[in-house]
Amino acid sequence: MSETARNRMMLVIALVMAAIYLFPLYWMYVTALKGGSEMFANPPSFWPSSPQWATFTYVWESRNMGRYLWNSTVIAFGSVALIAVLGTGCAYVLARYRNVWVDIGLFLILMLQVLPASLMVTPIFVGFTQVGLLDYPRLAVILAIAAKSMPFFVVLVRATFMAVPMELEEAALVDGNSRVGAFFNIVLPLARNGILVSAILIFMQAFGEFVYSKSMIQDVSLQPASVGLNSFMGPNTSEWNNIMAYATMYVTPILAIFVLLQRRIVSGLTSGALK
Amino acid sequence: MRRMISSVRDGRGFDLMLVGVPFAFLFALAGLPLIYNILMSFQEVDMFSLGSFIRPFVGFDNYAALFRQPETWPILTNTLVFVVGSIAGQFAIGFGLALFFWTSFPGASWLRGLFLVSWVMPGLVVGAIWNWILSGDFGVLNFLLRESGLIDGNIFWRSDPNFSLWAVIIANIWLGTSFNMILLSVGLSAIPGDLYEAAEMDGANAWQRFWTITLPMMRSTIGAIIALGLIFTLQQFDLFAAITDGGPNNSSNVAQYWAWDLSFRQYDFGRGATISVIMTVFVMFAALVYVRSTRHEVRG
Repeated sequence: MSETARNRMMLVIALVMAAIYLFPLYWMYVTALKGGSEMFANPPSFWPSSPQWATFTYVWESRNMGRYLWNSTVIAFGSVALIAVLGTGCAYVLARYRNVWVDIGLFLILMLQVLPASLMVTPIFVGFTQVGLLDYPRLAVILAIAAKSMPFFVVLVRATFMAVPMELEEAALVDGNSRVGAFFNIVLPLARNGILVSAILIFMQAFGEFVYSKSMIQDVSLQPASVGLNSFMGPNTSEWNNIMAYATMYVTPILAIFVLLQRRIVSGLTSGALK
Repeated sequence: MRRMISSVRDGRGFDLMLVGVPFAFLFALAGLPLIYNILMSFQEVDMFSLGSFIRPFVGFDNYAALFRQPETWPILTNTLVFVVGSIAGQFAIGFGLALFFWTSFPGASWLRGLFLVSWVMPGLVVGAIWNWILSGDFGVLNFLLRESGLIDGNIFWRSDPNFSLWAVIIANIWLGTSFNMILLSVGLSAIPGDLYEAAEMDGANAWQRFWTITLPMMRSTIGAIIALGLIFTLQQFDLFAAITDGGPNNSSNVAQYWAWDLSFRQYDFGRGATISVIMTVFVMFAALVYVRSTRHEVRG
């Protein structure tokens, strides 16, 4: 078999596998476009016979999605800002030195990275109640997410700083820069892309965060979209087209960012998790 | 004073500040809760004593009471089944896909990256989609299984106690497969190609090459990925909330969901903390394995 024929065959198999794997996503979009009776048809239709675009506006208004998505955005931006400000410097120092203290710090970071949110939420909730932070529930959630995700960010960004040659910083110091100046003018700009990609990853995680928001935000008007989706799905719901429309509007922006920046995100992720 | 300022601008003070503030933050919001969790597991904490620091000390009563509850052992068994089933499925499918995409062809890396959408989606959305796919009467999975002749009647994935845990496992396998695949691909691409050329010249077939080169060379990667899989499956919460809610009758409940349920639905924070402490020990153990297997790389 010639090289091109082989390549084509492999590509076709790969496309089929990707199609099977991504079928749930397709099913979400198709269901969102189906009408009330078509959704429950047997055998199910794999292409909507008459796409119901009005479902989207109906769900957007009746579920008050604008408010939910706004809250998700506030929480995600708040967490990312806090994590980036605190985590970047931490990652820089952990990348710059090699001694016992750095090893201990890295070990602590890696251990903190693995603590499940559903286990940490009990003490955080009780503690926050006692210090009165639950009066500002979105801030409480931002703080909790920041503590949960910052270790991951530090690991990813540290890998980026490791790739910045030390000599450039030393040259800047020789030229009369202060350490602060060298950090902000030389090292940070060189690591900008890696920091940005890590921040986007954290943003996507925080945008879908559920446990902390569900437990700490009682006021419906402050809840993010994940909690909204959860309360939309009652135990005996039959509005699956509406729920899928909700899910579509929630997830499509994230998917768009991901597809656009796929290559960078994948390489950033792999460099941090294993290397 | 001047020395302090100049140390912040030019010397160790700058580094200490950069690293000190984040660690103080992490200590306040992760370290203290961990300690507080242990403290609460020895106290009686309910809605009334929530606001006060001084609460009745009950020693090991929470632990003893927990293991007297009839649902404890079934839930811990469920946790084990969930963890083993999810990791086995994610790893097997992920490894298969990684091996396939390793035979490089145009578009391979782009398509491979596309699989990761399952990982960047909010867990609640993944759960909602699978909830609908797994629905008993109108679910598309039942339809496909019926058509292919694998089952005769519909399986009620979410409401049949024999299947409810597997419903979440299926969704979790789908969620985690892509992540496993990407990390395994990284490990595969690090194996030097001339090893295979040499083996081929010696007459080793593809099967032998897989067992004698690929697997041994991947040992530390595989260890790290299994440990990461353990960590991620023990963190899985959203899928339970979105698909079965731990039901019916706790048949799909696992420890991490139960801990939340005890605290936030039954308002027994003491017992929720107790389960959390027990599970945290397991997670820490998995983390130790993970850190050990990636230590060389982490040190750079």
